[in-house]
Amino acid sequence: MSRLRLSPTTPTEELRKLADEELMERVAGADADAFEVVFERHADVAFSLAYRICGRRSLAEDVTQEAFLALWRSGARYDRARGSVRTWTLGIVHNRAIDALRRSGVHERRRVDDEGLHETIEAPERTDEQAIEHAASAEIQSALHSLPAEQRRVIELAYFGGFTHTEISSMLGTPIGTVKGRMRLGLQKLRGHLGDWQAVGA
Amino acid sequence: MSKLPHSSDCEQGHNAAPYVLGALPDAEDYREHLGGCPLCRADVAELALVVNALPASVPAVQAPENLRRRVLAAVRSEADLLRAATEPAVAVPRSPGRPAWGLRTRFAGALAAAAIVALAGVIVLDHGPSAHERVTAAQIAASIPGAHASLRQISGHGELVVSGMPQPRSGRIYEVWLQRDGMTQPTDALFGVSSRGSATVAVPAGLVGAKELLVTSEPDGGSSSPTGAPLIRIALSA
Repeated sequence: MSRLRLSPTTPTEELRKLADEELMERVAGADADAFEVVFERHADVAFSLAYRICGRRSLAEDVTQEAFLALWRSGARYDRARGSVRTWTLGIVHNRAIDALRRSGVHERRRVDDEGLHETIEAPERTDEQAIEHAASAEIQSALHSLPAEQRRVIELAYFGGFTHTEISSMLGTPIGTVKGRMRLGLQKLRGHLGDWQAVGA
Repeated sequence: MSKLPHSSDCEQGHNAAPYVLGALPDAEDYREHLGGCPLCRADVAELALVVNALPASVPAVQAPENLRRRVLAAVRSEADLLRAATEPAVAVPRSPGRPAWGLRTRFAGALAAAAIVALAGVIVLDHGPSAHERVTAAQIAASIPGAHASLRQISGHGELVVSGMPQPRSGRIYEVWLQRDGMTQPTDALFGVSSRGSATVAVPAGLVGAKELLVTSEPDGGSSSPTGAPLIRIALSA
């Protein structure tokens, strides 16, 4: 298996044929061309996520830039056994976007390091994960909207709003136990839908 | 739902969903718990699959072109510098067994250090009223982690002292710039570094009113405007 190549730049067309995981091996060896291909593949979805969380283009731009530079500088830490490049990248974007959001005002600062996050998104079943990643965004949207409103709300407040269960509990005037229960029920229902998509995608 | 052992059998099981959503205030404790609890670990892995799909639900927005340019420019300039800095290491004959890993690890270590160096910020050392000397520490680009630089100003005369800088690549030289009124102005201070990466460079008069001093790598003979990201930045407070 090829690891680090120190040969001069490979033509970009060749690089475009490589899987993300192979590109990341080159990124770990400071191959800027390989990075560019990874960037082009994921920049739009990364920016969309940052924008959804931050709600401001300028902040979303800063977050996306920071996240990709972190990916470039810590490419050697990427471990394909623990998830796809896309999931890893979006995990970094999510983490930094929530951080920026909290720093920018409303929220009290909370820092979760990227390392810990990588653990959060650990996914042993790669095929499963890939099928889910390819599930059309319209399907994920409709699955979210099919959830009871109170379950969708706690999931969105947590994931896109960066609020802790304690904060959500006091915002909604709902006991913490109930908030946690709604999170679990909502995620489990979504998991059911994802299973269907997986069957379709397989 | 299932007869198999499940995280609902664990007293910490209720924390799995908030954890994967990033909503657990004391995530560190739970992460520790995960280390010893296969039930919760399986639960978290399963729920994380769902959370990983959530980004796909957001309205698609195209990444702005200027963001693309900024990111790629920064990466290209760091790649150039890293190549320059790691060249001697590459030239060392390697055993055929595990050629890449040693370099890979060293590289990763250098980058990790780089990220920290970049955060160090600017420190101003003021020697007090008796000496008219002012030493300002520099901010060093993440691409040259081992480098140090400072500016000594003695009665209006400036001297840039650098150490641990990589050699400029062949055909290139370091150039000093001054930022003033939002413009980056070239100076005639061009320099290389000793084999140990150090140099002392007289900074031409005209520091007064300048906001920042920058150093970039430029083609031999210097440029009239910077062609790469700054490697050294020194804030010149009035």
